[in-house]
Amino acid sequence: MPAKPRVAFFDFAGCEGDQLQVANLEERLLDIVSHIEVVRFREIKTIKLDDYDIAFVEGSITRPEDEPRIKEIREKAQVLVALGACASIGGINCLKNFINENEYMATVYGDKGRWYSTYAARPLSAVVKVDMEIHGCPIDKNEFARAVKELLLGKIYRPPDYPVCVECKMAGNICRYEQGKLCLGIVTRAGCGACCVTEGSVCWGCRGLLPEANMDAAGQIMNEHGFSWLEAQDHLRLYFGYNGRL
Amino acid sequence: MIAYTIYLPQVKGLLKKWSMDLQVFVPTMVDDGFYEFKSWSDDIEISWDYDLCYTSLKKFVLPAQEDLISFDMKKYSAGAVIEAPKQLLFGVHPYDIKAMNQLDQLMDTDSVDVNYRARRDNTVVFGLERVHVADTAFWSGVEADRVDHGYDLYWTRISPGAFFVQVGSARGEEMLTMDGPVEKASVAQKEAARRSHLKVMAKAQKNTLNFDWSKTPDLVNKFFNNRTFWREKAKTCLSCGSCNLVCPTCYCFDIKEEADDLLQNGRRYRQWDGCMLSGFAEIAGGHNFRSSPWERYRHRYMRKGKYIFDKLGELGCVGCGRCVRACTARIANPRKIYNEIWEAIKNEV
Amino acid sequence: MKSKFSPYVPRPATLVAKKELNEFVTLFEFAQDSGKPLAHRPGQFIQVSVYGVGEAPFSVSSPPRTDHHHFEIAVRKIGSVTNALHALEVGNKIGIRGPYGSYFPMQKFVGQDFLFVAGGLGYIPIRSVLHYMLRHRDEFGRIILLVGTRNPGERIFTDQLAEISKRNDLEVFETVDVADDTWKGNVGVITTLFPKISINPETTSVATIGPPIMYRFVIQECSKLGIPQDRIYVSLERHMKCGLGKCGHCQINGINCCLDGPVFCYTEIAGLGEAL
Repeated sequence: MPAKPRVAFFDFAGCEGDQLQVANLEERLLDIVSHIEVVRFREIKTIKLDDYDIAFVEGSITRPEDEPRIKEIREKAQVLVALGACASIGGINCLKNFINENEYMATVYGDKGRWYSTYAARPLSAVVKVDMEIHGCPIDKNEFARAVKELLLGKIYRPPDYPVCVECKMAGNICRYEQGKLCLGIVTRAGCGACCVTEGSVCWGCRGLLPEANMDAAGQIMNEHGFSWLEAQDHLRLYFGYNGRL
Repeated sequence: MIAYTIYLPQVKGLLKKWSMDLQVFVPTMVDDGFYEFKSWSDDIEISWDYDLCYTSLKKFVLPAQEDLISFDMKKYSAGAVIEAPKQLLFGVHPYDIKAMNQLDQLMDTDSVDVNYRARRDNTVVFGLERVHVADTAFWSGVEADRVDHGYDLYWTRISPGAFFVQVGSARGEEMLTMDGPVEKASVAQKEAARRSHLKVMAKAQKNTLNFDWSKTPDLVNKFFNNRTFWREKAKTCLSCGSCNLVCPTCYCFDIKEEADDLLQNGRRYRQWDGCMLSGFAEIAGGHNFRSSPWERYRHRYMRKGKYIFDKLGELGCVGCGRCVRACTARIANPRKIYNEIWEAIKNEV
Repeated sequence: MKSKFSPYVPRPATLVAKKELNEFVTLFEFAQDSGKPLAHRPGQFIQVSVYGVGEAPFSVSSPPRTDHHHFEIAVRKIGSVTNALHALEVGNKIGIRGPYGSYFPMQKFVGQDFLFVAGGLGYIPIRSVLHYMLRHRDEFGRIILLVGTRNPGERIFTDQLAEISKRNDLEVFETVDVADDTWKGNVGVITTLFPKISINPETTSVATIGPPIMYRFVIQECSKLGIPQDRIYVSLERHMKCGLGKCGHCQINGINCCLDGPVFCYTEIAGLGEAL
C-alpha cells in the first residue's frame, strides 16, 4: 500500500448513517485524513476518483445489479472494509427475507413494485471477500477511527470476539434480564461499549451474532426469563436475519 | 482494640471533612433492590443496610480499563502511567474486604503490580457490618464472614442513631477525629456490636457450604477429570464472562493499545478479561488451550476452589454471590457446584 | 509521571540485521540501545513491542552472551505484531521487556549427554540452548539433535544446520512430515527418528520443544528409551501477555507459564491436566 493510501467510500442498500458517523468525527477527521487521500466520499466532498487502495462499503446487496458493482470495487481495492451492519451482517434489510416478495414489493413501492428489481438482502461477504468489518447500526465513530489507524499501521482491525455482556459489566450496568427485559447482549458481538444498555435501552444485536454464540443456551435462557420464542425471534430477526443459525 | 462510638449526626460532618481530601464512595440504592457505591454528595442517601452492591469493588483498585504506559512512536520512547486518585470506600462488607486483601497478595507477589499498588495505597477502606444477607450470598461458608485486617475503620450500626467503630489503622483513627473529639466506646456498645454480628451470622446460615470449606481444594481436584460433570454443568454456558467480570477476586486482564490520530504517540492499557471468554487461552496461530466452554467453566471452579488456595491458603471465592446473580443461564454458583461435588464424593475424602 | 518505575515500560532496541529463514519465518538481530547484554538464559522469552500495533512474547533464539548487546529472535508471520516485525527495516526500533520466565538448568547438564528434539518452530528456542552447549562444548557429553519439520519449505536455519551437521562432536538427524522432490532425507513425524539413535538413558537429558500435539509422543519415546522423567525438559507455549504472572492468559491449571515456565522439567507438569 502507498505511504498515503487512497480511500473511497461506497454505498449500497442502506441509509448512509455509517458514513455520517465518519463525518461526525469532525475535527478528529482532519488528523486522520492527514495520513490518507480521500478520493470519494459523498458525505463530505463532491469529486469522485476511481483509483483507490481502501474501499469502505456501506449497505447490503439487494439487487442483481449490485453484484457486478461490488465485484468491481473488490477488484480495484486492496482492502475492502464492510462499514456498518447492512454491509457486515446484512442488517435490517434482511427483515424482508422473511416476507413474501409480493408483499414487501407492494408495501414499499405500491403498484410500482414491478419497476424495481430486488431480491433477498445479503451482506457483502455473501458476494465478495471482505477484509475487515466495522460493525454496528450505526458504526461507532471511535471504533472506525481505531480501525483506520490500525490499517495504516499495517494491522487488520479485528472487533472483539466476546459478547456485549463484557462491556455491560465494565460499564457497571444492571443486567436487563434482572429487570425483566429481553436483551440480545448475551449473543451479540461487543465493541460498542454496550452503548444502548448504558443509555437505558437493551441490546438489539446490531453488531451481529458472536462467532461462537451458544444459541441453544440463549433460547433456553430467554425462555426461562419468560420470553416466548415468538418474542425472541422478532428481536433476533431485526439484525440477525441473514444468519443461518436462526 | 480501640473503638469509638459515632452518632449519626456526626457522620455528615465527617463525610464533609473527608470529602475535602479524597473522593468518598458510599453504598446507595440505584434501582429497586440494586445497590452500588456512588460518589458521596450531601443529597445522597446512604444505604446502611444494603445486602450486596451490584458490581464488585475491584473497579476502585483495578479499573475496567487503565493506562499502563504512554509511548512515542517516532522517538521510540515510553514512560509509565500510574494514576492513583485518593479515595475512601465507606461501607465495605467483610467479604469484599477479604476479596481486596486477596487481590493485595496476588498483585504484590512475584513482581509488584505498581499500578494496582499505587491505587491501593491511596484507598481508605471503612468496613461495615452487614444487616441483610443477599439471597445469592454464601460468605458464611467460605470463611468470609469476618476480617481482621484490610480496613482502616470497621463500622457496626448498634442502634438507629449510633455506630460502634473499631479502629483498624492509625490513618482510620486520625480520620475519625478530624471533626472534633469522639467518644470512646463502652463495653455495652461493644457487646451490642457483637450481638449485631451474631444476628447477621444467624441469617447467613441459610445458604452455605455443606462441608468445611478447607476440603474444597481436594474435592475439586478429585473431580477434575470428571468431564461428564463439567460438560453437563456448562451446557448452557454463553461464554459471556459475566461471572468473571463481577467477581471481586478475578483480576485477569488483556493488554491493548491505541495510537493517537496523528500516529505519533499512543497509550497501552489493560482491560478486564475473563477465563470464561472463548479466546482467553488462545495463542498466535489459533490454537486454543481451553477451546470448549466446559474446559473454561472447570478452570474457573478449579481456580476459585484450588489454585488460589495453593497459593494463599484460602479459597479464591468469598461467597458474595455476585456471579450467581450475573449469570443469566443460572449455572455460575460456586456454592451449588462445590456442594454437589461434596455430595458425590464425600465418602472418598 | 515519566520517571516512575513500571515493569510495563519497554526498553528500546534497534534492528541490526534481518535474514529470511523461509517464506514465513525471519531471523531478526537486535541491539539493545542501552549497550548492555540482554542477560537472558537459554529458554527464556522477551516481550517485543511495535508501538501502535502491540506486544507479543518471543523466545530468544541466540545463546546468552556477556560480551555484547545483540540478541536474536526468529519470527513467523502469523499475526499483527509478527507482520509489523517483518515490515521493519534495519535501523528501525522496537521496545523490549524481559527476559522473563524459567530457563534450561545448564549446570545440571554438565557432564551429561544431551538429546534435543525440535519440532517446527520449536527449533528457535532450542537453538539458544544448543549453541550455548556448542560454545562450551567440552563441558557436555554427546549431543544429539533431532529436527522435524512439516515439509522441506518450512525448514529453518538450513545453512546453520548444514554447517553444524559437519561437526564430529554433534549428531544431527532431520525429518519432514511430508517430502517433496528436493528432499532426500527421512520422511515421517519426528518420532520416526528415534529408532535411528542409541543413547545411554543413565546419562542422557532431553530438551523437547514443538507444536502442542508433539509432546506426548516425544515423551513416550523418551520413556521407551528409559530416560527418567526428571531428565526430560519441555518448553510450553502459551500467550503470555504481561509476563509478570498477573494477566492470567498463560495459566496452565494453577501455574503461570510466564513465571513457572516456559521451561519445565516434565515431573513439574506431569500431573497437570492442561499442560500437554
